[in-house]
Amino acid sequence: MIDQQKQSRLKRNRKHTPWQMSMRYILLCLGLLIMVIPMVYMVSSSLKPNDIAFSYPIRLIPTAQEATLSNYDYVLHQKNFFTYVGNTLIVATATTVFSAALSSMLAYCISRFRFPGRNLLYSIIITTMLIPGLAMLVPQFELAVTFKLVNNLWGVILFYTAWVTPFSTFLIKGFIDNIPRELDEAIYMDGGTVFTIYRRVMLRMASPSIAAVSVFNFLFAFEEVGWSQTILKKDELRTLPVAITQFFQAHNRTDWGYVFAMTCLAMIPVILIYVLLQRYFISGLSSGAVKG
Amino acid sequence: MKRHVGIQILVVLIAAMMMLTSFACAKTPAAPAAEATEAPAAEVTEAPAPAAEPVTIEFWHNYSESDGQIAVLDELIAKFEADNPGITVEPVYMEWSALHDGVVAGATTGTLPDVLRGDIAFVPQFGALNVLVDMGALPGYADVAASVLPSANSTTSMNGSNYGLAANTNTKILYYNKTLLDAAGIAVPTTQDEMWNAASALSGDGKFGFVEAWTGWWNVGPYIWSNGGDVLSPDYSTATGYVNGEAAVATIQKLADLYAAKALTGPTMDPGAIGDTDGWASGTYAMEVDGPWRGNALNSAGIEFGAVPLPKGTASSTSVLGGEDFMMFASSSDAEKEAAWKFIQFMVSEDAQVAMAKVGQMPVSIAALQNADALAAMPLLPVYVEALQTAKSRPVIPQWSEIEGIVATKASEAITGVKDAQTAMDEAAAEINALLAG
Amino acid sequence: MSTRFSRAKSFFKRKDNIRMLALLFPGLAVIGLFTFYPIIKMFVMSFFDWKIGYQQVSQFAGLMNYAAVFSDKAAGIAIANTFYYMLLTVPLQMIIGLLVALMINGIRRFTVTFRLMYYLPVITSWVVVALLFRNIFSNQGLLNYFLMDVLHVTNDPIGWLSTRWPALTATSLLGIWKGIGWNMVIFLAALQAIPGEYYEAASIDGLNRRQQFFRITLPNIKGTILFSLVMLIIGAFNTYTPIMVMTGGNPAHQTEVVLTWLYYQTFSVSGKMGYAAALSFLVTAIISVLAVLLFKVFSPQKEERKS
Repeated sequence: MIDQQKQSRLKRNRKHTPWQMSMRYILLCLGLLIMVIPMVYMVSSSLKPNDIAFSYPIRLIPTAQEATLSNYDYVLHQKNFFTYVGNTLIVATATTVFSAALSSMLAYCISRFRFPGRNLLYSIIITTMLIPGLAMLVPQFELAVTFKLVNNLWGVILFYTAWVTPFSTFLIKGFIDNIPRELDEAIYMDGGTVFTIYRRVMLRMASPSIAAVSVFNFLFAFEEVGWSQTILKKDELRTLPVAITQFFQAHNRTDWGYVFAMTCLAMIPVILIYVLLQRYFISGLSSGAVKG
Repeated sequence: MKRHVGIQILVVLIAAMMMLTSFACAKTPAAPAAEATEAPAAEVTEAPAPAAEPVTIEFWHNYSESDGQIAVLDELIAKFEADNPGITVEPVYMEWSALHDGVVAGATTGTLPDVLRGDIAFVPQFGALNVLVDMGALPGYADVAASVLPSANSTTSMNGSNYGLAANTNTKILYYNKTLLDAAGIAVPTTQDEMWNAASALSGDGKFGFVEAWTGWWNVGPYIWSNGGDVLSPDYSTATGYVNGEAAVATIQKLADLYAAKALTGPTMDPGAIGDTDGWASGTYAMEVDGPWRGNALNSAGIEFGAVPLPKGTASSTSVLGGEDFMMFASSSDAEKEAAWKFIQFMVSEDAQVAMAKVGQMPVSIAALQNADALAAMPLLPVYVEALQTAKSRPVIPQWSEIEGIVATKASEAITGVKDAQTAMDEAAAEINALLAG
Repeated sequence: MSTRFSRAKSFFKRKDNIRMLALLFPGLAVIGLFTFYPIIKMFVMSFFDWKIGYQQVSQFAGLMNYAAVFSDKAAGIAIANTFYYMLLTVPLQMIIGLLVALMINGIRRFTVTFRLMYYLPVITSWVVVALLFRNIFSNQGLLNYFLMDVLHVTNDPIGWLSTRWPALTATSLLGIWKGIGWNMVIFLAALQAIPGEYYEAASIDGLNRRQQFFRITLPNIKGTILFSLVMLIIGAFNTYTPIMVMTGGNPAHQTEVVLTWLYYQTFSVSGKMGYAAALSFLVTAIISVLAVLLFKVFSPQKEERKS
């Protein structure tokens, strides 16, 4: 199906004049320029020595003599930098995996079965998407205390999973709605069970949409600050975004060079995940809930 | 076929993630457990004498890392633990607002530290949350309290009880950029009027003569006090005639004029303004009334500066009392409370206070204030001791943080010209009165 | 519907029902416990003069908290600011995102590169990009530098962040900049799902490019537009970090949005939990009304499929 789409797209493109094509490239590049100026600013600031990071007049690109990797050197030798990175990766990965599992199971059940309370369940899921998450900070904190989840990475993982699962379910359900039911029936004929269908049909056929929500979920868990700051008080448990925030508040003078160096490093895993999953990303979104 | 390959990649990815996660699960619970078993074991072998149950106390603080205070704290804790076998102190650093929000979030459930060293303004606020221990009833409190500055410890007393013990004190004095003042040929101001005139003279061309980090009573209060005004009546029953009194309104009006003339700025009046520390470092700001930390920041930024007590207003030179107090929490067990009290007494001892003075914390211990080492480490100590003699504490009442918020909002409205000074301060008085009545 | 039901009935023995519950349970448990229960608790709190603090008793307060929100000028400002942010960011991100998607869909080479580059802002952390934008828009920032020293348009720095509306506009620009990539991806997905034959038929019928866009492309991505609208509106009401970092709600709470004001009431003052709960339910009500309206306007026939 994807190949077909690609072909028809190519066919369409063939009719375009070279002039139209080059206009598109030019416009895209111009747009890109605006999009990346702040990013360039960030990377270049991470290469400047601290005292000239924001000196006036501003230089977008540091001169060759000024450019230095000392910020990276400092950050990488911070005693806890790799602990923070490790914690963040653990939290983000676990959240992604758990929410993928939970939401695909929920989506499958809601999409395929009629059971008492199904509509209620679905509307609860939609409602939880509407409430501002920060508003629930205090009741959720009480809950975390009850379950001894304070100062525990599980406290972050479980709550993140609970937050992202509704949206993931919503997206995956839309995708599953479009998977032909004949496949399910064929498996029932062969004596398969609900589990078999989940494993053989849902996980397989819906994998693009699972990949797509995984990108969203990983990113969310990777950069969340408020909750993880509330619940992880110990330095060796902190996640990278919290460490970055504490870092620029802890010092009398904000060491922008260090902050931006840390940020640039922190972007690498997210870019990797996106690049790895981006093929599924588009196709996972292209059918299903997004279509309405 | 193509899809098949895709699935395989996904499976591998998920498998990798699973492995990472199981590694995480194995690691997380293991870490604290290992710590818990190691630490007491080491102590038992070292200290055979007292057979007291080992106890661990959690200590939340916001000592500054870049000033080397955390390193000193670690040394002090090591010393305390060696002196008191069986007690382990677990320090947790949090920046100011995280510290505050952490206590508020943990209050209902009792998820609190055993000892906290935090802003003196926290005492009435946490007192209202019903989480603090009445430390005045602890054995030996009176003796320890007698060894610290009475003005500093007055910040812990509310309704006749003491909900803390002074940890460090400070007040605000006038810092000025010596290079800029000399270049403009301006003498160091000795009165408020001279200070504002100097601010105007030093401004222009993207530079500002005066910077004020916030507009709460902490910031505008000293000027108003020095001009004979106040925020509340002495019995804390009303704000009418005080926060909107003549002296207060005239002072706020002066600040508004300075702001309009671009001689005064600050990140809460103008979010586009450069932060005070960064602005000092780049030579944008020439003067600021601030606490001891400003000196450290200026030193590390390589700025040549001087400092004098707050210039006199029409009535006096009355600065505001700042600093931190130690607090203990009702949610701790008796053994934890006992250990916490021992730790606090240790932290206000002369030695500990001098050690902290060397990295920029002004002592409350009267002995430490006269200690030669402390004096050598803090060249500005004499200026501060002079300023402290007339410095005033903000009202220690539960509603204070809300009152401070109201003052900050209304003063900011007046200074930035959203409202005129009299209207804004009248509104502040009305809101504060409603708060005091409710 | 009914055929599916009866078919399902004939296929499932009791055992399969139990198996289905096993699939349903973990997700239900996690959402129910960690999200739904706190929501219920918040709802209860909104009717109490809720006291946080050790062993404190909270008193029933009826609708007092809701009345307090309605009479609170600052809350009004915060809600108005949120609407301003929403009205500015939502349409602009969608239109620009759609344009970029159309162009990327129309080119043959480097599509992956463009997709990644345009998506970069989305995967950068909010805190950091907000810091960057603060430095761009601050009085001594990149933008003023360009205006003053490169283009010489003005001699005095312009206070982009100094007053209410310019500051909100600057934060909105951040929202738009960061949201374009997300919209681009969503719309690209929708565009690729439109069968190419539609366009072939259209060009045989002699429709020009613009006519093709309005008669084929737009109707076919209507569902996506609705989805994106609802998600972006929810997102706009969840704005916290950009404001917190760029203005902190200053000066004098003039640039506060709903969530920053909520956070201020919960923590910075003295824990007005009841007030905060009431405010968040009012916000939820606003979002729900908007969402329902959108569904009504866009696709009345889709409604029944959704339920």
